[in-house]
Amino acid sequence: MNTIANIAFRNLSRQKKRTILLGSAIAFGVMIVTLINGFAGAFSSNVAENFSNLMAGHIFISGSEKGPNDKDISVIRDDSELTAAVKASGAPVRYITRRSAFSGTLIFEGKKIRTNIDGAELEKETFLRDRLLLKAGTWEAASDPRSLILSEKIAAKLNVGIGDRILVQMQTVTGQNNVGEFTLQGISYDTGIFGQMMSYANLPYVNELLGLAPGEYQTMGVMLDGLKHVESSATAIYGKLSGSVQLFERGVKDANGVETPFQALLSQQKKESWVGVKYRLVTINEQLSQIKQIVAALDLAAAIILVVLFVIIMVGITNTFRMVMYERIGEIGTMRALGLQRGRVRSMFLYEAVFLALGGAVAGIVLALIAMGIISLFNFGMNSPAFLIMKNGHMSFYLPPLRAIGNIMIIALLTLIAVAGPAGKAAKLTPAEALRTTN
Amino acid sequence: MKRIFATAVLLMAATGSLLFAQDVGRILKELDRLGDFSGQDFAAVYTIVSQKPGEKDSVTQVRMFRRDTKKQFAMLITLPEVNKGQGYLREDDNVWFYDPTSRKFSFSSIKENIQNSEAKNSDLTKRSYTDDYTVTSTKEGTVGKIPVWIIDLKARTNDVSYERVVLYVRKDRTMLLKQEDYSVSSRLMRTTLYPKYVELDARLMPSQILIIDELNPGERSQLTMTEQSLAGLPDKVFTKAFLEQVNK
Repeated sequence: MNTIANIAFRNLSRQKKRTILLGSAIAFGVMIVTLINGFAGAFSSNVAENFSNLMAGHIFISGSEKGPNDKDISVIRDDSELTAAVKASGAPVRYITRRSAFSGTLIFEGKKIRTNIDGAELEKETFLRDRLLLKAGTWEAASDPRSLILSEKIAAKLNVGIGDRILVQMQTVTGQNNVGEFTLQGISYDTGIFGQMMSYANLPYVNELLGLAPGEYQTMGVMLDGLKHVESSATAIYGKLSGSVQLFERGVKDANGVETPFQALLSQQKKESWVGVKYRLVTINEQLSQIKQIVAALDLAAAIILVVLFVIIMVGITNTFRMVMYERIGEIGTMRALGLQRGRVRSMFLYEAVFLALGGAVAGIVLALIAMGIISLFNFGMNSPAFLIMKNGHMSFYLPPLRAIGNIMIIALLTLIAVAGPAGKAAKLTPAEALRTTN
Repeated sequence: MKRIFATAVLLMAATGSLLFAQDVGRILKELDRLGDFSGQDFAAVYTIVSQKPGEKDSVTQVRMFRRDTKKQFAMLITLPEVNKGQGYLREDDNVWFYDPTSRKFSFSSIKENIQNSEAKNSDLTKRSYTDDYTVTSTKEGTVGKIPVWIIDLKARTNDVSYERVVLYVRKDRTMLLKQEDYSVSSRLMRTTLYPKYVELDARLMPSQILIIDELNPGERSQLTMTEQSLAGLPDKVFTKAFLEQVNK
């Protein structure tokens, strides 16, 4: 068997140009597919991590109270039990954020735009300053109780500049109309479609507009040391909370499986009735469970590209090996006359195919890794429109090892199928017939 | 002598304010009665012309059916053509919005604006100043040349859209001429004028309403009420099936 493998290897090295061309075609296909797989591999974690930074947490605890007419009011009145549970859980907590938010219409000199305004502890949340780069204005000025930070696109649409007074029309937690007046103290770089929607103001004033008392807020965000701790920490915190406060069930799913766990939790909340504040705990993964669908779509696209590219490459390989068979017909005849069995002739061709596929696939993966390395060196900046899918302004990739191995196997299999026809034909040749044939 | 005079003045003032407080209560009750069709059904067509700077005037027409006894209403949008068939249904404290394109009902609120206008669902339905607000101050004034009571009200509940409302009611007969709506932060958000009234079953009903958006200068909506009727309505009008059927 080793001899046949050696002959197959020698045959490939005899026709260097042809081998390189065929190998390059395979390598190119593998490289493209690997790049897509690598992008998809890092996509969900990058989006989740960036969303965590935008939303200031990996785990979110929010409170709901039944107001007049059984309507839900989003509020955390006293967070002592929550902070105690987070502490007792042993979760690797980097920091805790307290936020309230509303959706309102910003009004400035006849121009209007609807946006979400997050009330944050702007002076305490120093990490927000690292994430949200200001194009105009300063973070020091943001200590003004009525300060507002808008993204550059919203600021441009409203035609506002630093120091301008902007009205906001919104509703309190109980649904009454309210109007606030902010002073624009910061204009941030746009960070993609979601970044544009985020505007920031000081928590006490946002609370006042929402009709919440000082010290109250709507959502506690728990920022962990990394995404990998999310599920274990969430389980631990939920466990600690379950003995001390009213909690909504975690991880509920609707019967049809149409809703995300987060949407299902909200539906559950609408159906239930309770007294006092009841808390829900959601993780960034639950909130972004639809991201998984995007990753699955990317992986499916990669698989389709792999198949399409390889159908084209297979046609080339089949034709090349048919040609190779005719080129070597005399040689095959001689080997057969010397006693080489049909099966071993077929094996020789199949070995060549496997060597070609493995060589091409490995080269493709190496090329893809080099390309990933080079692309990830470029710093697109935190103000890039594609910020959400990047890691600290850099494109990042993660290639799951099993996926790479799977790709190599698929390619080896497809190449074997492509070569099976010519190999079978070569094996069927009788020695006399082969020796008689002249090219 | 001075003491007697001062006491007399104080007594007169106290008596006057007591009488006036009773008057204000009576005025508010009368305003509530004018807009309350309990025991009857009410139907009308409202044409809402909305003006916004830099935009063409938009016309919305809604057919309103009310049954105040059961806290029900059905509102059917007949204009513009693109929104025809959309509707609102109120059953007790629940309000649903029906979209004929998706054929689905979604939760809405009485505090929501009707289409793109300044008018809210609550502007066309029964309301009770007595139940929802308490009087904080009252004074005399004029609207144009007409003498009015200016009654300042503060919300008792969170169910109302505006925390503070100022009413300008004619002195000679209970007729609301103007209403100012304020935000929780005490900023004037909306001024509503009632220039025309019609009489319906011994009740004065505003047939023309002008709503001015005070936050967005130049934005206003004019509501005109026509085809008002107190004829009985079939029960099915106040059902989801009705909104679905009218679109078939």
